Amino acid sequence: MKSFYFSDLSSKPEALENVRVLDLTNVVLGPAASDFLAEFGAEVIKVELPGVGDVMRYVTPWFFYHKNLSPGFEEQNHNKLHVAIDLRKSKGKEIIYRLAKKCDVIIENFRPGTVDSWGIGYKQIREIKPDIIYISLSGFGQWGRNALRVSYDATAQAESGMMYITGFPEREPIKFGAWLLDFAASITGAIAVISALIYKKRTGKGQFIDISQNETGVRWMDWTWVYVGLTGKNRERCGNRDPAILPSGVYKCLDGFIAIVAYRDDEFLGLCKALNLDESYREFVDPLKRHFIVDELDKKLKDFCLNKKVKEVEDIAERYGFVASKVYNSKDFYEDEHFRSRRTVWIYEDHLWEELAEVQAVKMSETPGRIKWTARPLGFDNEFVLTKILGMSLEEIKELEKEGVIGKWSERKGTRPPEDWDKRSGLFF
Amino acid sequence: MSPNYFSWVKDLTDPSKIYEKPEALDCLRVLDISTGNFAALFCSSILAELGAEVIRIELPGGDISRKMTPEGIIVKDTGLAYIAEGGRNKYHITLNYKSEEGLKILKMLIARSDVLIESFKPSEVIKMGLKYEDLREINERIIYVSYSSTGNFGPKVKDYYDYDLIDQAISTIMSVTGEAEFDPKVPDDYKVPLKIGNWMAWYVGGAWGAYATLLALFYRLHSGKGQYIDVSPAECLLRHSNYYLQYYHESRKLVPRFGPYDPAVFAYTVVRARDGKNVFIAGYSDENWKGLTNLIERPDLFEKYPTPAHRLKIENQIILREEIENWAKNYNSDKIIEMATEYSMDKTKVGTVVTGIVHSPKDSSKLDNWYERGILRWMEDPYYGRMLIQTSSFSWMSETPGRIKWICKPPGADNTYVYTKILCFDAKKLKELREGGVI
Repeated sequence: MKSFYFSDLSSKPEALENVRVLDLTNVVLGPAASDFLAEFGAEVIKVELPGVGDVMRYVTPWFFYHKNLSPGFEEQNHNKLHVAIDLRKSKGKEIIYRLAKKCDVIIENFRPGTVDSWGIGYKQIREIKPDIIYISLSGFGQWGRNALRVSYDATAQAESGMMYITGFPEREPIKFGAWLLDFAASITGAIAVISALIYKKRTGKGQFIDISQNETGVRWMDWTWVYVGLTGKNRERCGNRDPAILPSGVYKCLDGFIAIVAYRDDEFLGLCKALNLDESYREFVDPLKRHFIVDELDKKLKDFCLNKKVKEVEDIAERYGFVASKVYNSKDFYEDEHFRSRRTVWIYEDHLWEELAEVQAVKMSETPGRIKWTARPLGFDNEFVLTKILGMSLEEIKELEKEGVIGKWSERKGTRPPEDWDKRSGLFF
Repeated sequence: MSPNYFSWVKDLTDPSKIYEKPEALDCLRVLDISTGNFAALFCSSILAELGAEVIRIELPGGDISRKMTPEGIIVKDTGLAYIAEGGRNKYHITLNYKSEEGLKILKMLIARSDVLIESFKPSEVIKMGLKYEDLREINERIIYVSYSSTGNFGPKVKDYYDYDLIDQAISTIMSVTGEAEFDPKVPDDYKVPLKIGNWMAWYVGGAWGAYATLLALFYRLHSGKGQYIDVSPAECLLRHSNYYLQYYHESRKLVPRFGPYDPAVFAYTVVRARDGKNVFIAGYSDENWKGLTNLIERPDLFEKYPTPAHRLKIENQIILREEIENWAKNYNSDKIIEMATEYSMDKTKVGTVVTGIVHSPKDSSKLDNWYERGILRWMEDPYYGRMLIQTSSFSWMSETPGRIKWICKPPGADNTYVYTKILCFDAKKLKELREGGVI
């Protein structure tokens, strides 16, 4: 397949050009959803509280900031316009109403009922913009006995049963190394929004979308519920083995760890050959019988890898036709020329933050996603958005700022431009 | 909050009215020719839940994904994973596309479809003559979704079948998931990378493939153009793996495996309750940390560790987790949730404490809230019997909710319907194909 993707990126259209999103979300579940929309061309206007902003502006490993930018905020806020409006003030709400009339999508993730009580929920917005697509993301959904329970990613990992099945059988369940259910519910929300946009294009109708984090966890539990329902048994932890695809595991080599799968007939037979197993193993070419021998195979694989380098095992796997890959860390992935050339690792020069690396997931040939800029300071685009979209005069804007209806960054790291900012770079206004 | 918000919003998205409402994608025909790949199957499940006509094409005898199942458990002809995810709302036909006649029929179907989903090895697609470039000649509007571990272009394409475990290994998530490398209480044998229990890479990859498909469809509605979509579930899972790659670029530092701790937020941890269940508990902003220390009646901890700079230090995280656990040991897990929820709802109190019980799947399957909202449901399948399944994540869309119409079908169940309806094959033709082993 040709690498026709990035050769002429600039001349290619964007799938969501002309889609405008009003983004009232904070933290990760929500901002990631609008981030996925922004990556494919939507104009996302992110609204934060003046002076304070999204809590993720301050969430960063061991207090590390890159030129006042928190990586924890950066990762789910690309290509957005950043305004700071106090939604609790009536003039703030007035701006929201005016923006809403000019938007296709509104996205929010406050506790269920909150935006309704502020008068900017779906019930009120659809009165002034009947074809609005309004999406609310939350922990447990907009209604039901748990609607008011707050939730983070790990709540959903825990309550769904996902955390319980992660870890070694003889040890405790393990919380994942990333906020995966924040992102899972976010991509689910992004899918729902596009399906609603498609429906709107066909019928002219908008709609309300309720997506919940915990239910996304339940949805993504593969065969768990069928298994529990059918057998009455619990699904237990299996360490690094994929219990439905055998043999499989992660093994220690001299210089790192390697993941191995030998599932299909030819892969399994290849593994038998590589491990020098006798003919009797051939009867286990049927995957449905493998669980009888998986413990001994596991031990053989463990011994096989222990005195070899990762690359050596990868080469043997390639030669014998089973599947093996080293366990990558961020450094390995960052330096990998393959992923660099696919722009999965997307390195570019940002107007504000200088050279940055971002991550891009799927590749599309006609409407590829792209990174244009990364998270901007709090209220950085107030003037641009309010003049461009609402036609406000600079006097009006100054007055609103004086009244505290809109605002900008504070002294706190995470909200501010870089210290050496020239007061010009990166501004669209 | 208007007091009737909850009844109003429930009525708006009432699951009992799902089947009265239209479907967003009932204009779409999808061919899923993937093999042994639950990312692709989840992708087509999403499209099918939203109303697309999805036709699952398997080689005669059924696809290998039907054999991916725990403990070798098979119901009639099919494993548990396929019953859960492989077949929902999908029409099932068999076709030997490796034969000349079969390939011809496949191309006829492609000419009449909107989306093709495949998961062959990169070299296999080329050998079979099923490259996007080839198919574009037959149908220039086709949206072609390709699944593979490391993608179909680039200097080092891996020419193997895509597996979730391999994707998890490549995505970097495994390098940060597992027991804490820095915790002296963890035996060395367990200081290793760890797989996420569910097929996380396949689910993320499936979702991104569906997302890209819908973006492509949205674009096609006004441009008339199809396109090629290259999905590596490993890359997609990296996209979901927090900020670690950005952090590496900026600091040249790696985040270690941190188990029940977190490099950027604390308290955000898991502790053991009196009843032996684990409980997730969090309060990491200053305000919420204050709330947490109030809840556990340890205001001294707030005084001593007032800022994230204090709390994020590894040695302090270890101390603080122990302190929280000392409190948690006095209460059963559900009591802790109740106390934290009550505290957080009380407007006179500072901060919000977020919690969750680490339920086993069996315990989780008994929680009423899943059934009340309808994400879990017992359904009777005419062929496979009564099954507990997860429904659609899109059940709560007010106009075009996602839905389950049927759970699964055996291989070739819809041969007559699909081949007759789409390709106008008559009984004689179908008999010939059957006898020739093509279907």
